Amino acid sequence: MTAMAKSAKNPGNVNYVWIDETRCNGCVLCMKACSTKAIRVKENRLAVIEESMCIDCGECIRTCPRGAIKTAAAEDGNVDLSKAVLIVSPVLYTQFGANADPGKVISALKKKGFLHVYDECHAQELFNIAVEKYIRENRDRPGVSLPLISPVCPVAVRLIANRFPTLLKNIIPLLPPRELSAREARKQLIKLHGLEKKEIKVFSITPCSAKMLSIKSPILVEQSYLDRAMGINSVCNYVVKHLQSGCRTDPTHKTSGVGIGWCMSGGEIAAMEEGNFLAVSGIKETIRYLEKIEMGMLNGIDYVEFRTCAEGCIGGPLTVCDKYQAKHTVQRIVRTVGPERTVKKEMALQLYEKGWFFTKKKNEPCLDEPSQRSFSRAIERQEKVENIHQQLPGKECGICGSPDCRTFAEDVVDGRASLEQCIFYRRVPRKPRPASGGTSGGSRDTGSNEKRQVSKK
Amino acid sequence: MPHLNKKFTIIADDFIRAGEVSIQIQSILKSIGFKPDVIRRASVCAYESEMNVVMHGDDGTFSLDIDEDLIRMEVRDQGDGIADIKLALQEGYSTARPEHIAQGFGAGMGLPNIKKNSDRLEIESKKGQGTCLKIYINVHDSNG
Repeated sequence: MTAMAKSAKNPGNVNYVWIDETRCNGCVLCMKACSTKAIRVKENRLAVIEESMCIDCGECIRTCPRGAIKTAAAEDGNVDLSKAVLIVSPVLYTQFGANADPGKVISALKKKGFLHVYDECHAQELFNIAVEKYIRENRDRPGVSLPLISPVCPVAVRLIANRFPTLLKNIIPLLPPRELSAREARKQLIKLHGLEKKEIKVFSITPCSAKMLSIKSPILVEQSYLDRAMGINSVCNYVVKHLQSGCRTDPTHKTSGVGIGWCMSGGEIAAMEEGNFLAVSGIKETIRYLEKIEMGMLNGIDYVEFRTCAEGCIGGPLTVCDKYQAKHTVQRIVRTVGPERTVKKEMALQLYEKGWFFTKKKNEPCLDEPSQRSFSRAIERQEKVENIHQQLPGKECGICGSPDCRTFAEDVVDGRASLEQCIFYRRVPRKPRPASGGTSGGSRDTGSNEKRQVSKK
Repeated sequence: MPHLNKKFTIIADDFIRAGEVSIQIQSILKSIGFKPDVIRRASVCAYESEMNVVMHGDDGTFSLDIDEDLIRMEVRDQGDGIADIKLALQEGYSTARPEHIAQGFGAGMGLPNIKKNSDRLEIESKKGQGTCLKIYINVHDSNG
């Protein structure tokens, strides 16, 4: 969907990931990069995103050489900053290389006029303790399916909801740190400044292209405690200017090595006590592991931290610094401040007992009971897909406008594309294709080819 | 009655691609929309039998047949075959080589897992003559 079409479908919402038609030249790179096969290059030779399939992972944003794919511009001119709070992802601290001093970054953002600026680190540390406790309590309970899955990465959560709904029950029912921070910040402001709940706006500064979607249509909570997300890239210039003008460290800020470690893949589980934890990063790897988990192929693991961006949140599409350089900065900061927790475990456990961490929303996959008729239709469809796929050249070129030959075959069967769009199908007389990529067989429809060649004469 | 047949080839000792066939099968079953439990059981059977071929079978073929009542998988290989089928069906009995064990396989749960997750399992095998597994899974009211 283009920006306008998308907002028409979601009245009142800003757009999330969208394609700037003035920049798109209709190449196939984003379509190829899209792991949910949500992009097609249509008749007018421009890319379009199928909204229902897009999970806002941002892979296309990273891939597009023309900068034609964008995310929601979250700046809102009407917000009264004196009633707004900023929740900062610690990834922001990693974007400024040698100048990185978290306290200075916080101080620079405060100058912008926000009533308060917090980072997520405190909540991340508390969350770690809560997850440890949750795993200990639930690991051996009957009916619990392992591995449990981290609720932190919004793309992973949406991917599970869309493509692996049977794994929704594996996601632990705790609020991710950004939601905890936002909830507590709001509470504190009401207490400190006597503001009305509705007056307060909570913004998140984030490396993640999926934050907007997770705020506007959340999966793990009924309603997000955040109001808006802003890309790290939208504030970087501002922060750099202040850092260069020699702004002072915010005296109230306490840097947490644990929280900053969270920026990298493996940072979440690194801060937990001994256990069988696994960290997976990158969208393709995440999908591969979710497939494995669904098939019961991942044994002996209690908890998986998924980050769909390579190397974790420092690889987010809304960052400005290269992820490896950012990683270097993370390691440097952690070395300076130490990897110890700054919160008291007893306090976190007390909050846990009070239910402070838990989301109230139950996540049950809504799976319709399939009927015999729908099976028979679906098998018939699949048969057609296999037949068409067999007739295609298997070049996986994407010139037809679909990401690969199999998806093209599905698009043809579902009426979204016509076979004529395949230039090889049009031009080359077809020979039986040898088995490749582990597949072969299926009946081939050679009849239609002969007819077509006859009609050309 | 609509019926889908699809054939795959399995390459022996290719641990990088091992599991690809089961993932494709899982994706087909998902797009047809079978119950999650049916998909899970079929995927486990597909995966275990695929791994058996990768480890023991030389190259092999995997044939998937689906209609609205039954999922049928026929996995054929040209490997050494199974000397004692009864023994091979015992949990924990394994003929895995050290290199398989190093990769985390060889717990002796392959065939027992297929047996447990299928509704019917037929094994044809003789020492030196390869193996053919026929795995049947009822799409409706099966207990596994």
